[in-house]
Amino acid sequence: MGVKQVKQKEQPKQKEWVRLDNASNIFLAAMSTTDTKVFRLSAEMQDKIDPISLQKALEQTYARYKLYHSVLRRGIFWYYLQHTEIIPKVAPEVLAPCSQLYHFDQKELLFRVIYNQNRVHLEVFHVLSDGTGALWFFEDLIKEYILLRYPESLDEIKKEQIEAKVRHLEDSFVTYFRHNGQQSFTESAQSALRNFARTSKRAAFKYGKKFGRALLTDRTVPTKKRRVYRIKGEKTADNRTKVIELEMPVKKILHLAHQEEATLTIYLIALFFESIRKSKSDFQIRDTIAISVPVNLRQFYPSNSARNFFSTVKLEYTYTQERDPQLKEICVSLAKQMSQQLSKESLERRLSRLISYEYNPINRVIPRPIKDGVLKIINYSNNRNLTVAMSNLGRVAFPQSIDGYVNRLYFHTSAVRPQFSVISHGDQLTISFTSPFIDTDIQQQFVRELTSAGVEVTLAANKTQADELRGDF
Amino acid sequence: MKRCTHCQVSVKGDWDRCPLCHQELKADSKVDSMSPYPDIPLRFDKKKVIQRLMLLSLLIILVVFTLGLFFPSPLGPLRISLFGIMSLWLVALIIIRKRRNIAKGIVYLIVSTSLLCVYLDYMAGWSAWSTTYAIPIICISAIIAMFIAVRIVHLKVGDYILYLLTATLLGFLPATFLFFNWTTWAFPAQLSLLMSMLMFAWIIWRHGKDILTELQKRAQI
Repeated sequence: MGVKQVKQKEQPKQKEWVRLDNASNIFLAAMSTTDTKVFRLSAEMQDKIDPISLQKALEQTYARYKLYHSVLRRGIFWYYLQHTEIIPKVAPEVLAPCSQLYHFDQKELLFRVIYNQNRVHLEVFHVLSDGTGALWFFEDLIKEYILLRYPESLDEIKKEQIEAKVRHLEDSFVTYFRHNGQQSFTESAQSALRNFARTSKRAAFKYGKKFGRALLTDRTVPTKKRRVYRIKGEKTADNRTKVIELEMPVKKILHLAHQEEATLTIYLIALFFESIRKSKSDFQIRDTIAISVPVNLRQFYPSNSARNFFSTVKLEYTYTQERDPQLKEICVSLAKQMSQQLSKESLERRLSRLISYEYNPINRVIPRPIKDGVLKIINYSNNRNLTVAMSNLGRVAFPQSIDGYVNRLYFHTSAVRPQFSVISHGDQLTISFTSPFIDTDIQQQFVRELTSAGVEVTLAANKTQADELRGDF
Repeated sequence: MKRCTHCQVSVKGDWDRCPLCHQELKADSKVDSMSPYPDIPLRFDKKKVIQRLMLLSLLIILVVFTLGLFFPSPLGPLRISLFGIMSLWLVALIIIRKRRNIAKGIVYLIVSTSLLCVYLDYMAGWSAWSTTYAIPIICISAIIAMFIAVRIVHLKVGDYILYLLTATLLGFLPATFLFFNWTTWAFPAQLSLLMSMLMFAWIIWRHGKDILTELQKRAQI
């Protein structure tokens, strides 16, 4: 590592900035004081957090992840990520969850590591990375922290290493931390799509040519006139995100999902739809509820880029007048839409659309403020056709020797509309609802659906109103 | 830990009422019940801010109308108070929005205050005081202010140099006033020109390369 750093210094001045990819621009256009486009990953440890060990762990992890050495700047035609030497500092939690990370005109890191009691939080600006990319950094941070905070865990790892050697396996220590092989800042900050287009056999120009066609053909198929239900409500006093966090045993809820013959994601979405229908008095029969779900493209197209590399699918369900549907019916409909949208052809189409957009030559010469304006309009019209959103990061496991030091993991994002985020670790599942509104009627209905089915739920929430903070609640 | 018997959930933290259904909670187990979310004081309360803004605006109107009784003006109290409120909020907004880059903030202030002066001059029947005095003086003081400010707050050259250049170029604007004879006294405009020329020469001599690097970076297609 040290040798490499010296080598870099000897080279003539390197290019230290990378133009921001088009796909990430949408987050800047959609960013507001309510929806900061920041997401948070948290780990609950066995003991109170030791800030000194955490700082050391952060510095070591930061040194390996060049992408995180970025500040965001504005140019005439583009936003660009610029390399910075700022050293991140861990801090106690004094800001509301998912507080703004990027301010125009300020050179700040696009992530923060904070701690409170026995929790470590990593907050990341979505322009920098997506959930999966950030999870890599977070996992390594937690591993480093455990090794520093609990030196005895190192003995366990050595033991594992010896066992591995005996079994003629790969040196486990080498595979302990993620090596993404990206050394320079420009390489790690490069758009995932450009990396993908470059490394895959498809030539970039192919997508450039395709753009015109994509523009003409990628119109959404006109559907029957339907009203997408949109949730309205009173916003929190200082625009902070309202968080309702649920902890539950994963087995029980998986059992419930399997009863409905659905995956966990589909089951939770169906339950959320039903909670909206049952709790919202202005919800009308024949209304459609639409949800946007991000899909990690790395699971279909191998990429080791930590930049944004995902697409979203939109699932919807229209309620009919005849009768209240069974949960299973909603699950079946949602699962069908999901598999259609994740079919090979559909994914290919999505990816080529994203890449063609990235390589579109017209985009290059349009000044940034105009692009921002256009993206804002696109974002606004997209939002009009969505009721809610969800994101599932799945099951996270640490190496066996240190897994026991971590209790639960949590994940949530800032929100422009009510949404929920799911992550699990060990036998514990956590669902975090975030919303710009103070009302909790949908969440209440959701929780009651779960508890009445026999799931043991523990709840935590943040305070968002003056009366709650005064202790009148 | 407390428990909501209506929602059937255990609740972490010092809540007296259920965060979901707002009904009273019952004490449950002995397990530690600290909330994982610390109490973060409100940064502001939207309702209060709007109330105060309304009150202040009403106060401005009241003061202007009262003063109008004693000091009659050709513009009328309504237009003056409207102008006052607008410029107050415009300047406040620029300062709040641009508080993180002082050099950029100064450029925005030069443009906005100059335009406000021209507008007021025009409304009051155009006596050319804005082009003779106000704009040249704003330009001169802005260049000096920026030159000092970037040193006090230790800004990096790359972060302010383009704005210092813009401010300097804006300082050449009074030349057009001289050319079209929009001034009643040439001296302030001439002084602004001289200041800008000196500053421009200094910037190119000291920071020509930095400007090229910044422009290359920011104007990349």
